[in-house]
Amino acid sequence: MIRLENVTKHYGHDVVAVRDASFDVNKGEFVFMVGPSGSGKSTLLRLLNRQDRPEAGAVYVAGRNIVDMPSGRVPQLRRNIGNVFQDYKLLLNKTVFENIAFAQEVIGKPKHVIRQQVPAVLDLVGLAGKEERYPHQLSGGEQQRVSVARAFVNRPLILLADEPTGNLDPATGEGIMRLLDRINQIGTTVLMATHDQRIVNSMRKRVIQLDRGVIVRDQARGVYE
Amino acid sequence: MLARLSYVLRETWGSFRRNVTLTVAAIITSAVALLIFGLTSFVQRGFDNLVTVWEGGVEVIVYISPADPEATDEVNVQALADARAIIEESLDSQPFIENYTYCDAACSQRDAEILLAGDPTTLDLLLAGEVPTSYKVIPVAGTDSQELQNMSQALQGLPGVRSILYAADFIDVVSKVKNFVGLYTLILSILLLVAAILLIWNTIRTAMFARRREIEVMKLVGATDWFIRVPFMLEGLIQGFVGALGACGALWLINNRWTAGVETFPPDSGLAAMVIDSDFQFSRMVLILVIGMAAGAIGSGIAASRFLDI
Repeated sequence: MIRLENVTKHYGHDVVAVRDASFDVNKGEFVFMVGPSGSGKSTLLRLLNRQDRPEAGAVYVAGRNIVDMPSGRVPQLRRNIGNVFQDYKLLLNKTVFENIAFAQEVIGKPKHVIRQQVPAVLDLVGLAGKEERYPHQLSGGEQQRVSVARAFVNRPLILLADEPTGNLDPATGEGIMRLLDRINQIGTTVLMATHDQRIVNSMRKRVIQLDRGVIVRDQARGVYE
Repeated sequence: MLARLSYVLRETWGSFRRNVTLTVAAIITSAVALLIFGLTSFVQRGFDNLVTVWEGGVEVIVYISPADPEATDEVNVQALADARAIIEESLDSQPFIENYTYCDAACSQRDAEILLAGDPTTLDLLLAGEVPTSYKVIPVAGTDSQELQNMSQALQGLPGVRSILYAADFIDVVSKVKNFVGLYTLILSILLLVAAILLIWNTIRTAMFARRREIEVMKLVGATDWFIRVPFMLEGLIQGFVGALGACGALWLINNRWTAGVETFPPDSGLAAMVIDSDFQFSRMVLILVIGMAAGAIGSGIAASRFLDI
């Protein structure tokens, strides 16, 4: 599903965000990317949805090298990738329903499909009945659930989560992890950047560890070290 | 398709409501710029009308006496033919005449309609058969004005010649005024148009900056650049269109007032030709609408593109 071959990414001339990184992720896998702040976790996620481009190497998503993909085809790529962020990135002037529907609206889904699929995904993330609330009327955990719902509503092949539990208390964070695990079991490949030791150790999924842009460990059913 | 259209219209309207002050400022600036552009074009057209009869290097016009209303048609036709033969013989004998053309009743009527557009009373009289036909004389380049005057004096005494007009002095004055007024108003209108584009550009940029989070989300869920750009471009286009519409309304009003004013001027004031006909007015209004919409769409399109690099 995902393949990186000798990927190197710099910011400016001297800051090396990722150096010679290579790994494969199979369809349906759940992978944690761990490491301290500035180790390159978020950069790797940005490379996977073409927010950034590497200076060297190849990034394959669903069998296609996206490094030299023409800009006009990037939207199509992104329709197959859901994104969850630490700060949720919800639109504050839109209701829960509208925030999720927005992800479908901008790719041209018809209204009757939106009316059918948004309630279903709200049910999946445990927010049924809160469609008309605005983000400021929700708790942090609920806002993150809306963010997950928005990322998942178009049934992406891959879900990229960048520190999704970073702003949440442990109990709420566990709820989000259960949700991501459920989405993974449905068949979506999940890559999650985190430095939450407790979550990584409790889930025992594959762990890719980075240190100053270099992959120093790639372990199946790993723990946080 | 319908869902997309509804989305575009909703977003455009929402953006208007969020940016009312800037939107109104952009509309007013574009309206003023386009109005000045329109007025410049009208003034130029007025001056062009004044010198219409002198087009193509014509320096002298020999007007033939109109038909005698009390004589029979046969007599008038014969009188005209005799006068033309005498005048042409005289013109042919001049070595410095390059060529001349006879402007018959239809041709003279066309000229009169332009020159007397603001003086309908005189025009009606002329169109009733009083319009004089004429010869438009083009001398060889560099001909001395004294020679032209000598020729004119000789022609003046010929039977059938009603009057003779010189171009030189008249064209010189009209051209100087036209160039002066035209140049400065054109520069002013271009500057104002650039200001209007920049203001529209800034309005859209502000709107996009306020919605940068939304745009980022749109990009990340797979919206195309055009899908994001179109509501903003439509907003700019509407701003330009409304400004242009305002300019057209003001232009129509000013032209109407001017035309009404010219009709009250003395017939010999020479300003009757400076009235703008409705065909020209319509074509300029269409041009103003096109320029307004294009300026709005281009300004907003450039502004929108700057926020799409995610």
